[in-house]
Amino acid sequence: MSIFTIIAVVLICVGLLFFLGAAVGIMRFGDFYTRMHAAGKGDTLSSLLVLLGFGVYQLNNFQSFSESWPVLLVILKLIAISAFILLTSPTATHALMDSGWEDGIEPELKNDKPETNALEEDMPQPKQKEAQA
Amino acid sequence: MRLFALIAVFITGGLLLYGTADFPAKGDPHSPANAGVPGTGPSISQYFVTETYNDSKVPNMVTAVLADYRGYDTMFETVVIFAAGMAIFAILRVVKGGRNPGTGIHHRLDKDSSGNGDHYDIIVGTTCKLLIPVIQLFSLYVIAHGHYSPGGGFQGGVILGASFILYAMATNLKASLARFSEQRFMSLACIGILIYAGFGFLSQFLQKNFLEYGVLQKVLLTDGPEMARSHSMLGVEVGVAFTVTAIMFAIYANLSSAGDLENGKGL
Amino acid sequence: MWQLETVLLIFLVVAALLSLKVKDLLSASMIFGMYSFVMCLLWAAMGAVDVAFTEAAVGAGVSAVFFIATVYNTKRRSSD
Repeated sequence: MSIFTIIAVVLICVGLLFFLGAAVGIMRFGDFYTRMHAAGKGDTLSSLLVLLGFGVYQLNNFQSFSESWPVLLVILKLIAISAFILLTSPTATHALMDSGWEDGIEPELKNDKPETNALEEDMPQPKQKEAQA
Repeated sequence: MRLFALIAVFITGGLLLYGTADFPAKGDPHSPANAGVPGTGPSISQYFVTETYNDSKVPNMVTAVLADYRGYDTMFETVVIFAAGMAIFAILRVVKGGRNPGTGIHHRLDKDSSGNGDHYDIIVGTTCKLLIPVIQLFSLYVIAHGHYSPGGGFQGGVILGASFILYAMATNLKASLARFSEQRFMSLACIGILIYAGFGFLSQFLQKNFLEYGVLQKVLLTDGPEMARSHSMLGVEVGVAFTVTAIMFAIYANLSSAGDLENGKGL
Repeated sequence: MWQLETVLLIFLVVAALLSLKVKDLLSASMIFGMYSFVMCLLWAAMGAVDVAFTEAAVGAGVSAVFFIATVYNTKRRSSD
């Protein structure tokens, strides 16, 4: 087993561990915002690690620049996918969080007085939840 | 009534499962679809696999079957998409002052009366500004590269339409309509169909069958009928892509604003 | 790879039943997007890459947007 395969397996396993963490976080965390935190963070990092593992695994087929350039092309595509995930996944999480805030989902706070939260003063107050239809 | 529906579903499902027992195994080289009926020569799929490249110099035989051998069918598939867009238009579109049948979606910047859309606008807007050109470039690649790799007019058109939808969702519908107005997308939908049918009528005009591209070498000035077929497939795919792009955005614009193409009236 | 296809088919049936069972129509359209995505993976596993590409673009991408736009124009909850 070559060194690249071992590195790739380690990277993919760590990525899958983070996926598991994200899944458990979505199931077990208290409110909407912490759940989205688990989903956004864990998902992004684990996807990147798994894609990095794929890229490292592809290096097994690499001999020289002149004859195995298709391998580099595959790695380049994987890097492009990673860049897109790095751009889109946090933005999607942010957009979902923002929509939840606008919709009036209350975050769970440790102290019962939300106005003592320093962050709260800068932020617009969430709209009161309207009666459910 | 629920019980009756359940019984009907189970009987239908059972009949379908019973029918699958007669199928040949997946990928069986001796099944009639792959090997042909004995005594009648090679099957049609064998012909496509072996002769597509000789006929039209197109490596991706799926595109060749879709746009050339079965071009008449694909033309009316495009017309179906066009008709779907027209049906949405006919049902939902209301002109100014008319009755508003629905409520419409809030786009992000519509309800921005309290001034709290700023942080949203920067993050999502910047990401969309970075991504939309790449998405559109990729969709053009999918359309133009449909001969060589998976893809073609339908897929590329959907991706191109989705980039406009993404722009509408990130900012608001008005900003998107300023780039791609109703007049433009409606005429683009018609132009796409006309391009496709135009290739058919052109080959008919040159005294061949409808959509028989080989004869177009006189018009396209190619080396032989094979390259004429390849280039005509590209032209036809571009026509499909026009229609699909325009109709995808038209459906979204009409659905999300409940037909008045304003910003929607709120939930 | 019949193991992968079996897992995907189980996911497919679960997603189909769930999208019928869920009362919230927004969730149902999201689960239908998941169904489309599993279907896309199945097409790719069978080697029909063109169809998989179409399913990914149309089924999982645009049709989910259309469903959500329609749900926002009508009622959110299903009555049956």
